[in-house]
Amino acid sequence: MQHSSSDTKMAADALVQPCQMDRSGSFFKLIDTFSTEISELKQEMVQTAREPDTKLLQGLEGEVSGLFLQSSVCTGAVGVRDSGYDSLRRRMSVLDRLTHTHSVWLLLSLSDEDAKCILQPQPPGTFLVRRSSKLQKKVISLRMDDSTPVTMRDFPVKESQYTFSLEGSGISFADLFRLVAFCCISRDVLPFTLKLPEAISVAKTPSDLEEVAKLGIGFWESDLCHKRRSSVSARTAQDNTQQKLKQKSQETSPKEEVHPILCTRSPSQLEFSQSNGALCFINPLFLQTHRSDTAQTSVTPDDKTPLPDSISPFPQGTSSTSPQNSGSILRRNSNTKYTTNSRAKSASRSPPPRPPPPRTVPHRPVPPRKQNSMPSAVVSWIKTPQEKSGLLGRLGSSFSSFSPPSSPPKKISSPIPTPSSHPKRTPSQPDAEVHRCHLALEDQTIEEAVSFSLAKLSLRNTALEDGSGSPAGRERLSDISISSTSSDSLDFNHSFLLPAAGTSPSRTGRAVGDSSPEEEEEEDEDYGVSVESDQESMEPPFKSKKRHSTGAFVLRRALKGHLRKVSGVFNSLMTPEKRAIRRISEQSRDKNTYFGCLVQDYVSFLQENRGCHTSGLDLLQTLRQFMTQMKSYLLQSSELDPPIESLIPEDQIDQVLEKAMHKCILKPLKPVVEAALHDFQVRSGTWQQLKENLALAKTKQPAEMGVDGAMPPDPVAIEKIRHKFHNMSKMYSPEKKVSLLLRVCKLIYTIMEDNSGRMYGADDFLPMLTYVLAQCDMPQLDTEIQYMMELLDPSLLHGEGGYYLTSAYGAMSLIKNFQEEQAARVLSSETRNTLHQWHRRRTAQRTVPSVDDFQNYLRVALQEPGSGCTAKTLQVRPYATTEEVCHICAEKFKVSDPDSHALFLLTEETTQQLAPDTHPQKIKAELHSRPQVQPFYFVYRRIQNLNLTVPTDQLNGNSVPKCA
Amino acid sequence: MAIRELKVCLLGDTGVGKSSIVCRFVQDHFDHNISPTIGASFLTKTVPCGNELHKFLIWDTAGQERFHSLAPMYYRGSAAAVIVYDITKLDSFQTLKKWVKELKEHGPEDIVVAIAGNKNDLGDIREVPTKEAKEFAESIAAIFIETSARNAVNVEELFQKISRQIPPLENAEVDSNESFKITRPPPASSRRCC
Repeated sequence: MQHSSSDTKMAADALVQPCQMDRSGSFFKLIDTFSTEISELKQEMVQTAREPDTKLLQGLEGEVSGLFLQSSVCTGAVGVRDSGYDSLRRRMSVLDRLTHTHSVWLLLSLSDEDAKCILQPQPPGTFLVRRSSKLQKKVISLRMDDSTPVTMRDFPVKESQYTFSLEGSGISFADLFRLVAFCCISRDVLPFTLKLPEAISVAKTPSDLEEVAKLGIGFWESDLCHKRRSSVSARTAQDNTQQKLKQKSQETSPKEEVHPILCTRSPSQLEFSQSNGALCFINPLFLQTHRSDTAQTSVTPDDKTPLPDSISPFPQGTSSTSPQNSGSILRRNSNTKYTTNSRAKSASRSPPPRPPPPRTVPHRPVPPRKQNSMPSAVVSWIKTPQEKSGLLGRLGSSFSSFSPPSSPPKKISSPIPTPSSHPKRTPSQPDAEVHRCHLALEDQTIEEAVSFSLAKLSLRNTALEDGSGSPAGRERLSDISISSTSSDSLDFNHSFLLPAAGTSPSRTGRAVGDSSPEEEEEEDEDYGVSVESDQESMEPPFKSKKRHSTGAFVLRRALKGHLRKVSGVFNSLMTPEKRAIRRISEQSRDKNTYFGCLVQDYVSFLQENRGCHTSGLDLLQTLRQFMTQMKSYLLQSSELDPPIESLIPEDQIDQVLEKAMHKCILKPLKPVVEAALHDFQVRSGTWQQLKENLALAKTKQPAEMGVDGAMPPDPVAIEKIRHKFHNMSKMYSPEKKVSLLLRVCKLIYTIMEDNSGRMYGADDFLPMLTYVLAQCDMPQLDTEIQYMMELLDPSLLHGEGGYYLTSAYGAMSLIKNFQEEQAARVLSSETRNTLHQWHRRRTAQRTVPSVDDFQNYLRVALQEPGSGCTAKTLQVRPYATTEEVCHICAEKFKVSDPDSHALFLLTEETTQQLAPDTHPQKIKAELHSRPQVQPFYFVYRRIQNLNLTVPTDQLNGNSVPKCA
Repeated sequence: MAIRELKVCLLGDTGVGKSSIVCRFVQDHFDHNISPTIGASFLTKTVPCGNELHKFLIWDTAGQERFHSLAPMYYRGSAAAVIVYDITKLDSFQTLKKWVKELKEHGPEDIVVAIAGNKNDLGDIREVPTKEAKEFAESIAAIFIETSARNAVNVEELFQKISRQIPPLENAEVDSNESFKITRPPPASSRRCC
């Protein structure tokens, strides 16, 4: 596509005049805006040199690139004729700037007073994000202007299930950064837009930003903050004046060049910083939504940006541009009164730049960037183009469905060469990941909007044909598919179109956000074999095929109405969680982080030393403890960058972290843990016993298992259940396992209810579950249940999952002890004791219990005046009396005069001798079941001796005092 | 409004109508906002109480003797236990006494105990006099009510009584073992429970 330099000069800064609009309609208006833009774009692209059309592009660029605030101080000062690399480097969006420098403005623990102190000397519009202790919410603390009595006001941030929004605003964002970035452009419910500190908004390079970020809160005190402001104080003053003038001022500021002016972005740049690519599209939304607000706040696309690598700077806001802009604006919104250029306002408001035509594509061969060894790096490498597909890319693909002959090659080509000079792409930089994240909301919106506008477009084409003299609709479309996506570089062409062709149609049908194929698989309803396989590569061919085929229906679907769009948006709101999880799991593999080290060390330790645990239970508890510790480490440390609070609403954080732990700890360890659990069972003989008992139980009729009346599942249903259990055992996530267990239970209920029509409570269900488990004859279920019980997020234990897990555990232990059950009731007291212990542990979240906490063991210390303490773990049956325990002690400790010894229970304050007919195990269980377990010890000693001192630093309730 | 999740355990002989009571409680005034559970053994229902919402997580247990040993797992961590007996079966009242004893010994310390004499509609074949049951309940400071799941008599009231006995959150001391999610009203302290 060709652009004359006059094109680039075109200002897109027509001021959008407020008009009364119902906010609820904003979504639909957005769509309209897009459709207008598409037609504008089309005209622009096809008829590059035509003056009347170019103005339309201005409008489009202004909107499309909404959030790409770019400093052009550099452009003005340094000179525009840079090599092209500089301009690449300079291209940072507001979102980039915010993300890099969150340590400066995202100060969650800042108090009201401190916030005031910081903001007081700052210009109006300066802001901080913190957590107000008064409101118990995150707030944007905004420095007000002098016309208001207060210097600072707090605007609470509403965190709903998956989104962040300002209270009172209807616009939600996937994370805090996007919300703030949006507020930098549009004031929404704020009195005016947020203003980035000068040092941040004019920074040329990410390293400049890093320098700022390093200062953290100290930035506000630093020279960097003050110098900047004093150096531009004249300008600030001017800004203030201009602010007052608001949009009435139409004169061009002579100091224009000094202001942060905006660099346009070519589509290629959109590509390279894909995380921004989507965000920019939100702009039309607020243009529409907030037009009703004062003109001061509406965003004016500012045009002063020279093209990245060529054109010399030119005077801004020339009179010639304004009318053109006005034309475009008027066209877009027939009911919008428009005023021309409000340079003054836009200068102080960090107005959005526009993407330039894709003429400045860097088509020099670029050295491939470094890849790190992680598989994820490969994913990002390949996936990047997909995520990056911006509006233009989508356009290309959507349009190309109209015109097959001109559509780009669809075969997968090599990964896009990324300019090595682009700092953001360096994988070693922590923010590389940040940039990979992007918001499906916007993608979805765009996708829908594009589709919709295509429909409109085709209608309009007919009308426009003679008037504009432009080529017929179809031809134009095909032109666009080429011109918008390719310029002079073939490489670029590929990189641009490939993803678009692959992803865009599917977005409409299925909001996948930026989830990797693997994650998509995990979410899959079909928990098949492949479900959790490590599919960290390209999507399988059939998928993209499917997507291609849906492409044809874009138009039809687009006409399906607005409701669909809205629901699509909601679907895609699931994404931030995945983004956060992916970030954490990437970090867990990065040994440069402390968290990564901890996780990797633990994982490899366990892989090599699984024998170090005394039992399966011990292993699982250590594992659970490690996950819990890692969760709190991530929460408390600042190692996650950006902080998770900025990505995930507070009440969701724990869940998200839990899922992330499953992914980065349980996933690699699952095979090890499984094998270890099995080994323990085999070694202890439990496996054999279990198998025998299962075989016996399988022969029993439902009635013998306690089933009374309800219809049991037939062999076919049993087979189905077995299949579900098989799938369950392939999962690594305890939560997903539990959800499959729930499906089995649901199936059992369905069978029972189908045959009777009545509801069944536990009286009927538990026996049936026991029967079903016996019929399934899967001894491995025992370790599965153990795995779930010990590793499930404690907060889920009281819910439905916890209930059925408890039931399954109960049923399994009945089966495990099936033979003994009939003979004696020892088993049940044993089971009971175990259950006591289990629930106490899991609900109290105490430190790891040792083996003697469980079942038949009792740790008893012998205290002898001469030799100090010796402790032994004795096997003591649950209902053994103290008398019996004393016998065992005498034997084990080889006490010569057992009659003069007795068993004592020591707690911190008391020592009491246990009566011969009491049951030590029962006492132990009772002590354990108290809400606050105090340390206690069983001591076997001479009756006269009362001088034992007990150290109280024992962590474990019934461990034995260490005697010197 | 803050939502508190309260685990409630149902105990009692098989056949006394434990699940019928809960089914009646949950199904009347069906709330579409609540995601349905997969079966009647575990049911949930949210009721307003003061300035809180109480979400009852109701754990049914199997009443047969052979499952008795599993009960601790079900009542552990419960905020309340509903022990149900059948007014037409004296045996079930004896079982109830055993449950009370077990709860006193092994149950959570502050558990709210409610005694429900079900099948109130079958008054003519009553075996357990109301007076006796009421006196027993008073002796252990338990809630007492006679219900009829069939006729939907006193079912709502039973849970309302339980709700009222649950100490409001502000007064509750650190009880972080209980599972309730707090979406707190503004001025409170920000203790988050799991």
